Amino acid sequence: MPNRHSLFWKLAILLVGFCLLMIGLSWTWGRHMQTQNAYLSDDARILLSGYAAEAEQAWLQGGRSGVDAWLADMADRESTWISVVGPDLQSLSSTPLTPEQSRKMTFLRGVDWPVSRRVTGLPWMRVPFVERPDLGLLVIELPQRLLPGQYRLYWQALTNGIIPGLFTLLLCVGLYRMLIMPLIQLREQANAWRADRLSARVASSTTSRQDELGELGRAFDDMAERLQGTVVLQQQLLRDLSHELRTPLSRLRVACEGEADAGQLRERLSREIDCMQRLVEDALQLAWLDTERAPPSQEPIQVQALWDMLAEDACFESTWPPAQLHCALDASCWVQGNLNSVAQALENILRNAIRHSPATGVIRLDGHRHAKHWLLWLEDQGGGVAETELERIFAPFTRLDGSRPGDGGFGLGLSIARNAIARQGGKLWAQNTGQGLRLYIQLPAVDL
Amino acid sequence: MNPVAISESNILAIEDDPVLGAYLHEELQRDGFKVTWCKNGRDGLDIARQAHFDVVLMDILLPGLNGLEVLAKLRESSATPVIMMSALGAEADRISGFQRGADDYLPKPFSLAELKVRIEAILRRVALERRHQQVSSVQTGELQFDEQACDVCWGEQWAGLTLSEYRLLDILHRSDEEVLSKPFLYQQVLQRGYARHDRSLDMHVSQIRRKLKAIGYQEREVRTVWGKGYVLSAAEVS
Repeated sequence: MPNRHSLFWKLAILLVGFCLLMIGLSWTWGRHMQTQNAYLSDDARILLSGYAAEAEQAWLQGGRSGVDAWLADMADRESTWISVVGPDLQSLSSTPLTPEQSRKMTFLRGVDWPVSRRVTGLPWMRVPFVERPDLGLLVIELPQRLLPGQYRLYWQALTNGIIPGLFTLLLCVGLYRMLIMPLIQLREQANAWRADRLSARVASSTTSRQDELGELGRAFDDMAERLQGTVVLQQQLLRDLSHELRTPLSRLRVACEGEADAGQLRERLSREIDCMQRLVEDALQLAWLDTERAPPSQEPIQVQALWDMLAEDACFESTWPPAQLHCALDASCWVQGNLNSVAQALENILRNAIRHSPATGVIRLDGHRHAKHWLLWLEDQGGGVAETELERIFAPFTRLDGSRPGDGGFGLGLSIARNAIARQGGKLWAQNTGQGLRLYIQLPAVDL
Repeated sequence: MNPVAISESNILAIEDDPVLGAYLHEELQRDGFKVTWCKNGRDGLDIARQAHFDVVLMDILLPGLNGLEVLAKLRESSATPVIMMSALGAEADRISGFQRGADDYLPKPFSLAELKVRIEAILRRVALERRHQQVSSVQTGELQFDEQACDVCWGEQWAGLTLSEYRLLDILHRSDEEVLSKPFLYQQVLQRGYARHDRSLDMHVSQIRRKLKAIGYQEREVRTVWGKGYVLSAAEVS
């Protein structure tokens, strides 16, 4: 069943309504026109009553001969058959009615009766005398020019053709505006993208619609947003990456020209290769995290065990004593996520904390549970960063202390961490504690 | 390490890059492997079908026939272990390689030492599978391994290990204080190749340590040997 705002309902109401309107209109109009066209026009009635009055006059003044004279006079004016008869339906003129004419006298029509189109030949009308209707009546075969319904075809064309046609045209315009205009906007946006204007967005008249086309418009906008973000990120990444790669390359070049001792050169070479490889891998990973389509497989992760594992590695790398890495969480803290991603995020955060802490600093992992989430935080004693830099530290290749590439990292760790956490449906942000920096990680909790 | 008959191992290397291929050929031969080097996917498939090899090393992007296609065709007739090598480090390639039956995946660039560790891990796993391990005798005063329950017991307490954790501890226990490499443990315990960002094994080790500590077992512990692997040995006196 389509939802309440679906285009289906709009179309259904519009089309059903339109059909009913058309049927109703042509039915009532058709009937109206039919009856309108069945009666004699007012002019015709006046003319016929005028004739009747003249005939009455002729009868009252001249009797049979008067009627004969009038009929002779009428023969010039009207080409149809005319007779004046008495109340007994016998001719008042000197010419008696033929049997055929007498028979027709029984089918006379009054002037205010409808004239059927179905009779063959012209109808015979009876028009009573005006002053003394009891004395007689005029019988006239209706002249062709007085026959009603002269404009019948014209009216039929109007009610059955032109008016429905106009209404349908209106409906088409409405449908076009409703359905095709948003598509035209989408096409324009696609063209804008083709012209590398990635900031183009669909007009708000489309995106604010509740129906399917509105959804399409919003999906289009989301896509544009993501596309623009990705392109900007990739361009930035490429720029930064080539910049970063130049450093080890230039060091290699210097070493290649200067260093005489083969052993030293080999050692130097291997160090720089390690450095470049790490840089390329980190950068690629950041790019993958952003483009990978399939969500990584998720599993419950015990944060305490994860911390033990990471702390062991970190102590080995940094030669810190394990006591300086403190975890206040107990075994009941389980989060849902992809092990490798969460491990890498936490590892990057931990490495970052160690790098910016004094040699005797203490790093603490703590957290508590909020309904469906675990809010974890890792705090160091490294003095923190300026409030304005709290967001910037998550951007790729950001190095706040201006440390040289290679020994201070490439500034990719926290970006990778943030993307990795975001892919688990979590959040990562930073806060100053006064003593140092506190990084908050929010991850979905699991109950085991 | 248990002696693996490296000198008798036949390796087929399918690699189109002349520099890397020649280097692999030369270095692996120097280490006592019998190496056949082939530069083309189609020829590689024919050779692999005709002769017996212990391990096949194969690039993914190959002229003639793509490495993944060679793998699919090879799997129709043989179960020879295959290590894929590729500069396409993307996750998707790794996954599709494994789905088609690759035993391990080595992203380029790699060091020769790393490659040798992977080859050894696979040879060793195959050797172990052929030999049908003898059940080690259960010593008293030791951690009790229960094959049925897949758990270990110290005193009256069960550690509550998961299946993977049990298998990991078991293999470390059987190898008698010998350092086992991560690629080997991945092959043996998790039945998949080792990747640098994969932390599952480390996580299992971390859980084993926690659980053994919880039941008060302190005679031996799983220790990390940096750059090599893990070993179950007597706890260090702190």
